[in-house]
Amino acid sequence: MRSLLAIALSFALLHSVIAAPEPTPKEEPVPPEQKGSVVRVNSTNQSYDFLRPWSKEAPFSRRGLGVLIDSRKILVTAELVENSDYIELERADSGEKSVATVQVIDYEANLATLSSPDPKFLEGMQPLQTTTDVKTGDDLSVLQLETNGTPVSTRALVTSVEVGKYALEDSGYLMFRMSCPLQFRENSFTLPIVKENRLAAFLMRYDSRSQTVDAISSPVIEHFLVEAQHQPYKGFPRAGIGFSPTRDPQLRKYMKLQDSDGGVYINQVDQNGPAAKAGVKQGDVLVAIGDKQVDPDGNYLHPIYGKLSITHLTTTEAYCGQHVTMTVIRNGERKQLNVELFRRSSEDYVIEPYTIGKPPRFYILGGLVFQELTRQYLREWGTNWLKDAPQRLVYYDRFQSDLFPEKRKIVFLTQILPAQDTVGYEQLNNLVVTKLNGREILSLDDFAEAVKNPIDGYHKIEFEEDPHEIYLDAKQVEEDAAQLEKTYSLPALQRL
Amino acid sequence: MTRSLVLVAFFIVTNAVAQIPKGVDIRKSLVRITATSQEQDYKVPWNPGSMTVGVGAGFVIDGNRILTNAHVVSNSRFIVVEKEDDPERYPAVVQFVGHDCDLAVLRVLDKGFFQNTRPLGFGGIPTIESPVSVYGYPIGGDRLSVTRGIISRIDFQTYTHSAIDSHLAVQLDAAINPGNSGGPVMQDGKVVGVAFQGYSGDVAQNVGYMIPTPVIRRFLKDISSGHYDGYVDLSITYFKLLNPAERHALGLPDNEQGVMVSSVSSEGSSIATLRQGDVLLTIDDHPIASDGFVQLDGERIEMPEIVERKFKGDTVKFNIWRDKTKQTVEVRLKGNWPYLIQANHYDSPPRFVLFGGLVFQPLSKNFIDSYQVEDLRLRYYYDFFVTDEIYKDHPEVIVLSNILPDPVNAYLSDLRFQIVDQINDKKIRTLEDVADAFAQKSTYYVIHFVGSVRPAVLERSAVEQARDRILGNYDVHKEQYVEGGQSR
Repeated sequence: MRSLLAIALSFALLHSVIAAPEPTPKEEPVPPEQKGSVVRVNSTNQSYDFLRPWSKEAPFSRRGLGVLIDSRKILVTAELVENSDYIELERADSGEKSVATVQVIDYEANLATLSSPDPKFLEGMQPLQTTTDVKTGDDLSVLQLETNGTPVSTRALVTSVEVGKYALEDSGYLMFRMSCPLQFRENSFTLPIVKENRLAAFLMRYDSRSQTVDAISSPVIEHFLVEAQHQPYKGFPRAGIGFSPTRDPQLRKYMKLQDSDGGVYINQVDQNGPAAKAGVKQGDVLVAIGDKQVDPDGNYLHPIYGKLSITHLTTTEAYCGQHVTMTVIRNGERKQLNVELFRRSSEDYVIEPYTIGKPPRFYILGGLVFQELTRQYLREWGTNWLKDAPQRLVYYDRFQSDLFPEKRKIVFLTQILPAQDTVGYEQLNNLVVTKLNGREILSLDDFAEAVKNPIDGYHKIEFEEDPHEIYLDAKQVEEDAAQLEKTYSLPALQRL
Repeated sequence: MTRSLVLVAFFIVTNAVAQIPKGVDIRKSLVRITATSQEQDYKVPWNPGSMTVGVGAGFVIDGNRILTNAHVVSNSRFIVVEKEDDPERYPAVVQFVGHDCDLAVLRVLDKGFFQNTRPLGFGGIPTIESPVSVYGYPIGGDRLSVTRGIISRIDFQTYTHSAIDSHLAVQLDAAINPGNSGGPVMQDGKVVGVAFQGYSGDVAQNVGYMIPTPVIRRFLKDISSGHYDGYVDLSITYFKLLNPAERHALGLPDNEQGVMVSSVSSEGSSIATLRQGDVLLTIDDHPIASDGFVQLDGERIEMPEIVERKFKGDTVKFNIWRDKTKQTVEVRLKGNWPYLIQANHYDSPPRFVLFGGLVFQPLSKNFIDSYQVEDLRLRYYYDFFVTDEIYKDHPEVIVLSNILPDPVNAYLSDLRFQIVDQINDKKIRTLEDVADAFAQKSTYYVIHFVGSVRPAVLERSAVEQARDRILGNYDVHKEQYVEGGQSR
């Protein structure tokens, strides 16, 4: 939700750039090799409405450019095609169109590959190779297409190479930042950026005021493409730690750290995450990953990119299933721990950080709507959701790893569809369910099971907070179900 | 005195023609109060605070006393009172103050003040639509002003002075403006209320509120012991039993009676007597309707009003429905301290401990209002302090509220607004614990915070070296003030 708005905003600004007299950006004709590598991608997307989990929101379209990666595959950003109902490819040279489907999509890395069912459609196009040889100060070219299909390129100066936030707030990967005066054109949502006829990056965000580009970097693209060759797709791993700097000399002295040690203080270790499984503990000081020394700010020296966050080592340089050695100092002693890296998928969280491309689960019982808590639900409160959404739920989301060490979901009463059965309950909403009919509720599946066993003919629903317990007449609820469905035009009373 | 009122000063000349009703010469009873106050500065807690001068009204009651609003004299350093027709200004002191009901009683040091004054008597709750007169010294002039209006509504209202307490309040359509506060609202020669709060003109017009006599009488009775104990509370929440299925499931008949106890505060009056799930059927033999109302003196009022009129140590009797049988229980009443975290605090300096340039303060309403904190954990600890019983582990939530930058704390700035959990081996439950922990001699002070947050480490020698430098640079003349915590 938030990233959508950010993008909508940046396009609005782009429009104003066109209206205002601006120095014409430096645009150049595109070398012939690149002409045959890009294709227009038009995607009609429809996201789920988490406040009315039984319906989708209005469809909207996004238009961007995709890059031919091998003879069959088109690479785009995940954002371009997330929650897509229909994807269309359009050849720049002929204007010919074909449908496409998503092959592999990674919302964290913000990348997806598309394929066309028509093998001839992409014939004659040239796949682009990737290059990771990008340095601060390099001149790259952002590719765009004129309305008539003529390719144009705009020069972009690489200003920094760093780990930064991708489309989702929790995922940070290597990012190329560039300075570039870009004109708004159709299909500008996703744009390839090339260096010497090789794909170097994908435009992810553009700020027209500062004329800066945040781009998905080629090491991330390469990682994605390597993983995308395997089924099932394993994604990007995470070490499962949170760390903070150890610059403070008092802290270093207290922890008996030598100045030459460097290192970061590990303040959080995900339960059952890769680091936890290898025995990394909160309070350890991480001084090296493999043969890379960790400095007190959590950076290491990368041969091409210079100082980089160590996050890059465990998310992008390494693949799921690989092992890295973490050297930690614990109570003044060095320990080497062998960490097998793997990914933590959104589903593995108690409160899913994102729910894209799949419908929200819900269960309506006698007009009471129950859902599993997701951040997508909280985001429905708009850009200010951290402040405006129900505070308890926002707190649960933010501190979920501290608060809920066990594997579970948070089932909660989201709202009431007023009906005969809900008289007196109209004001209840956003209440976390602890038990239904005496059964502990750790998922909506538990809930559906517990519905089968009312107590003495009543469903007893227990909440974590006031009013703590309410009741429904089980027989009455069953009898009223069809009417409820009809009154509120619900396609179904549950989706599990 | 606009400080704690919703009232915003707007300069409209009120119908300020002194129209004195027959039989009472209000000039013999009305008092103009000028209070010089110092408002605590929670952001710079060692500072004495900024000075304000406010004008309010009061009136003479029996026993040579003056009744006014608590907010007129809160945080006061010096008070003078004046009478109509007397040029002299008399110094006065606060004898009793009830911040929970926004009332205060003043004593005048010079007994001569009360010569030629006439104490006012109290009436009952005026009926809706009946006319009243409001006296005071509102903006628009310096002399006594009277406005007239009728009673619009009688209801429970939040008293904005404490911001947490709700009591009976009476709404009138007479203009009530800054300076009216503490003045009497009269009907038939008797006081029927004390004007105390209203809305600014851009929110609502002609909406003023007075404290009705049940609240005033309760205050006067409470202080007759020589000490103000304040309001007592059942310290429960309850749920209206309007749903037929719920009533049946609990085994209750369809007689529209009873509410369900949904939570019982651990530190409140009812913890030993009531439990979640009990259904309250009667309170002191008044049947409780399923919407929580009772009949009292011919009026339908909310159940807590019965308790409102009681005092510390009094009891209240309930017939309850527990485990499908009727029982009678008695609750002995007292206050509930955890609630006070969300109440405005007056009359004492902000509590804090300063160590190594780090300022530690307990979480409170004043704190939240001053710092405008948006930190999610801190907001949760504040908003859910009572409901989630956070006070069990943290009777006071101690926050690293500020950092006075110095080499000793140069790398700690990201820890601002974290909640202190432990210092060295000591669990931190109150501000006194913080002061004690830093008073212990130790080479290092390791401050652990709540949640997955790195600790802060201070080396004693470094703190000692920094001490004079910090105190000097930031003009700090007091390193801690820990007295007067709310909790035990």
